[in-house]
Amino acid sequence: MNVRKAFGAPLTALAIVVAGGAVAMWLSGVNPLDGFAALVAGSLGGTGELSETLVQTGALLFPALAVALAFRGGLFNIGAEGQLLVGGLAAGAIGATYGGLPVFGILAMLCASALAGGMWGALAGVLRAKFEASEIITTLMLNSIAFYVASYFVGGPLHSPLASGAETAPLPANLWLPLLVPGTRLSIALLLALALAAALQFLLARTVFGFDLRAAGDAPEPARRNGVDLPRITIVALALSGAIAGLGGGTLVTGALHRFNTALSPGYGYTAIAVALVADLNPLWICAAAFGFGMLESGGLAMQAQAQVPKDVIHAIEGVIVLVLAARRFVATRVEQRV
Amino acid sequence: MRGIRKAFGAVTAVDGVDLELRGGEIQALVGENGAGKSTLAAIAFGALRPDAGTVERRGTVGLVHQHFELIERMRVWENIVIGREPRRGVRIDTDAAKRAVRELAARNGLDVDPDAIVESLPVAMKQRVELLRELERRPAVLLLDEPTAALAPAEVAAFFATIVALARAGTAVLVVTHKLQEVLDYADTVSVMRRGKIVAHFASRGVALDEIARTMVGGELPKVAARASTAPVPRVRVAHLRAESGDNAVRDVSFEVRGGEIVAVAGVEGNGQTSLADALAGVLPYEGSIEGADARGVIPQDRLREGLVPSWSVTENVALGRQHARARRGALLDRRGVLQAARAIVERYDVRAPSVDARVATLSGGNQQKLVVGRALLDDPAFVVAYQPTRGIDVGAAALVQSRLMEARNAGAAVLLISFDLDEVFALADRILVLYRGRIAGTFAREDADRAKIGRLMAGGT
Amino acid sequence: MTIAGVIGAFVVLLAIKTTPIAFAALGGTLGERSGVINIGLEGMMTAGAFAAVVASGATGVPWLGAVAGVVAGAAFGALLGVLATRVRVDQIVAGTGINLFALGSAAFLLVLVYGQPGASKTVPSLGNGSWLLVALAFAVALALHVFLVATPAGLRLRACGENPSAVAAAGIDPLRIRLLAVTAGGALAGLGGAYLSIGELNLYSDGMIAGRGFIALAAVIFGRWTPLGAMGAALFFGFFEALQFVLQGSSIPSEAMQMLPYVAAIVALVAFRGRARAPAADGIPYERNIEEF
Repeated sequence: MNVRKAFGAPLTALAIVVAGGAVAMWLSGVNPLDGFAALVAGSLGGTGELSETLVQTGALLFPALAVALAFRGGLFNIGAEGQLLVGGLAAGAIGATYGGLPVFGILAMLCASALAGGMWGALAGVLRAKFEASEIITTLMLNSIAFYVASYFVGGPLHSPLASGAETAPLPANLWLPLLVPGTRLSIALLLALALAAALQFLLARTVFGFDLRAAGDAPEPARRNGVDLPRITIVALALSGAIAGLGGGTLVTGALHRFNTALSPGYGYTAIAVALVADLNPLWICAAAFGFGMLESGGLAMQAQAQVPKDVIHAIEGVIVLVLAARRFVATRVEQRV
Repeated sequence: MRGIRKAFGAVTAVDGVDLELRGGEIQALVGENGAGKSTLAAIAFGALRPDAGTVERRGTVGLVHQHFELIERMRVWENIVIGREPRRGVRIDTDAAKRAVRELAARNGLDVDPDAIVESLPVAMKQRVELLRELERRPAVLLLDEPTAALAPAEVAAFFATIVALARAGTAVLVVTHKLQEVLDYADTVSVMRRGKIVAHFASRGVALDEIARTMVGGELPKVAARASTAPVPRVRVAHLRAESGDNAVRDVSFEVRGGEIVAVAGVEGNGQTSLADALAGVLPYEGSIEGADARGVIPQDRLREGLVPSWSVTENVALGRQHARARRGALLDRRGVLQAARAIVERYDVRAPSVDARVATLSGGNQQKLVVGRALLDDPAFVVAYQPTRGIDVGAAALVQSRLMEARNAGAAVLLISFDLDEVFALADRILVLYRGRIAGTFAREDADRAKIGRLMAGGT
Repeated sequence: MTIAGVIGAFVVLLAIKTTPIAFAALGGTLGERSGVINIGLEGMMTAGAFAAVVASGATGVPWLGAVAGVVAGAAFGALLGVLATRVRVDQIVAGTGINLFALGSAAFLLVLVYGQPGASKTVPSLGNGSWLLVALAFAVALALHVFLVATPAGLRLRACGENPSAVAAAGIDPLRIRLLAVTAGGALAGLGGAYLSIGELNLYSDGMIAGRGFIALAAVIFGRWTPLGAMGAALFFGFFEALQFVLQGSSIPSEAMQMLPYVAAIVALVAFRGRARAPAADGIPYERNIEEF
């Protein structure tokens, strides 16, 4: 593997961030140097800032791994956002009503979140495998449906009179995921995400299931003719993908927010697509990419507060990254096939 | 065309070629796969720009593709007039368009129904539509790329009758083909390409077929492994098989393939071969029964669209299809076993790849095919389904593939060969079945197979 | 209110809710018939809605706002078109990128232009003039139908969605047709967005498209890739949106009503599957391949 191939995508993404950020700051009447200084200081400048960046890293890692798993199987799961939300909702529902031993409570919340997200993904899988309904459209629709389901619950059955807005009651501290750095929001969710990345890498590279999944994604017809059960792969892959995204929602509830509301995700499920693409759908590189995007998420807030550059520009920049990398990815394969 | 040169990366596909097409003359362009015929034809047509050299065209150039470039779900008239639609105001003048198609068809003696939907037409009729579309533009030069690949012998004669008439009326015709007999029968002159150069140019009258073949290969033709005497044993029994994929169905077919014999299914493409092969390969639902076919090795018709994952390495492709059987250890892939198997295939089948980690897409068609064949025969299957196993590969690779199939037969495997190429059928088969419109139209033992009779049966005759 | 009055009010509501979806669905249909799947409809509607508000606010002329919406949508359509034809990117990924970019930049520019996040100031709206756009949606559906079925350009466009190589063999550049089709489709989606912001309302707010671009995508399929079908599908989804409005305040939770169009989209996809086939080359990049010779 040559240097250009290994570092092309991250360097391209970095160039887009610098160029796009500079334009946005210039439009906002801010000296780009000051703006980037605020962004870097806000994401890496101290223990608190770095911890918050790592919280965002973890939050992006789950859905990005989910996206990568599905995309590797040729399945366009655009629904990580909804799967994450129903996962968070399930965890929040258990957390709001649970009365047993704390350690089982946390486990139950995480399992419920994976299960809920998994069912949300499996639904799209079944619709695709059994009814030929495009998973692109169904997962998009399920995102909206998940949002309304969640807002119904936090506005009604799970609404907490203690809360100011539409959200569940705060979790008791014994249902929080253990913190890595006291006094911050950084919990062991990050370690869980990293372990998951390693597991996914192993699954793809070494197992028969991963082999079938990649075959289905890279060449479905040869796969089908060579023993790959495409409908089964479709359902299982989307269920697994949804479970990972859902688990991400659960860890946000027990690890960072300590309650559930519909603002749980500022679009992690969509940003995750950019993260996964930057990393070429490789689980290990996704860890690095998630850190980079985590910096943008946490630094963007600081940039907005200190340099008055609206943080939404981060999403616009992410869009450009997706567009440019989609193009670049193709050019790379075309060049190789010409030889 | 003068001094034409064209390279793709480090590979020079066409290396200094002069070619002249004259009005009124049918010229054949022959050569092995990879000799540069396709590139030269693309340059003549204007689809590719040469790196060096000049192309001079007098009049327009028409091209009839091997895989027809038709819009399957549209009507015949739409396919023919597209780009030159007669108008009435802003709309298409449908009546005028159909009238023009009918007149064009009548003028060339190629009867078609302008209102038919293309996908419902048989192959020979589709080719007529393709030819008519080109003729509508009144080309001065007509390029034909493997035009008879999907035609029965009788249809070939009818097709060339039209082409000869066109040529006599002043059109210059270039036929790119690998069917040398047709070259001798219909072409006026022959150009032979080898490694990007035109190495010979004959008047086709008075040339021996062998001489053209030797010129193509650049030496003697490679030999295929000898047929050993075997004592065939019952192995695969197919009874009242019905299966359908698209318009290519088998209807009530029964036959046997015994261990130690090669049974060849002869026939023109589109008579049920695909359904038969897919049913036997276990990838198409069927009615009737297939017994004894479980331990099978399959050589699919289209290596890249059916057999291999092009973006994967040689090694990973060797695991494909075996990942639930020999290439598996529990839930994991047996990576060491697969690597050993890949190395063995590369050696035994002379697969020329930089390494077993090379992507399959970067290999030549012949090497890809050798890999597919090697994988199919790897675990010594009791039953082999080989569908067009030498399609589009050079003579050397074809001889190697045919030799390995013969060796598998000699070692006791039951081999079912499906081929559109009668030469291949006669070279390999112990028994020959003729498939026509999804049914078996005749069965012949090797000894008393009559080529003329089989040719007639393939076209629906008796 | 009389029964007739209730029905009349509902029809008015239906027309209002149908129009933006219809424009986007017609735009999506045009693109897919040429062979390009447009996941970016949502972003193109966003761009149209935002540009319309800015232009209307700046000039005081709401119709210039509508024009701006068309131009903004067309610009994003052309971007997708260029990516899908000249660069041959994965169309799904490119569309997703366009959505991220359009939504993000609209939110960013909102703060820049109006100095506040969330929503713009109010601007001159089309008022009763917006009924012209409602009528236009139906007219466009009819016109597109005639265009696709009966004109030479329509025949070529459909052929591009079926087999671009055959179009090239006939001496026409299929990439140019696809680019034009997706650009025109983007323009229609942009107009749909403009209708939302300065037709139905008089401001832009973040997230106001609220998945209508995705609904339109479902409407393309539900409408069997035909303009009249897309119009019908838009009415179907518009009906559920209108219904949700009517049933507000009843005992049914409002969220259940709000999710209705999305549930209906999934049900429609499943229930009406297999009735029509997608264009054969829908979503498949085209590149001339010399191996075909």
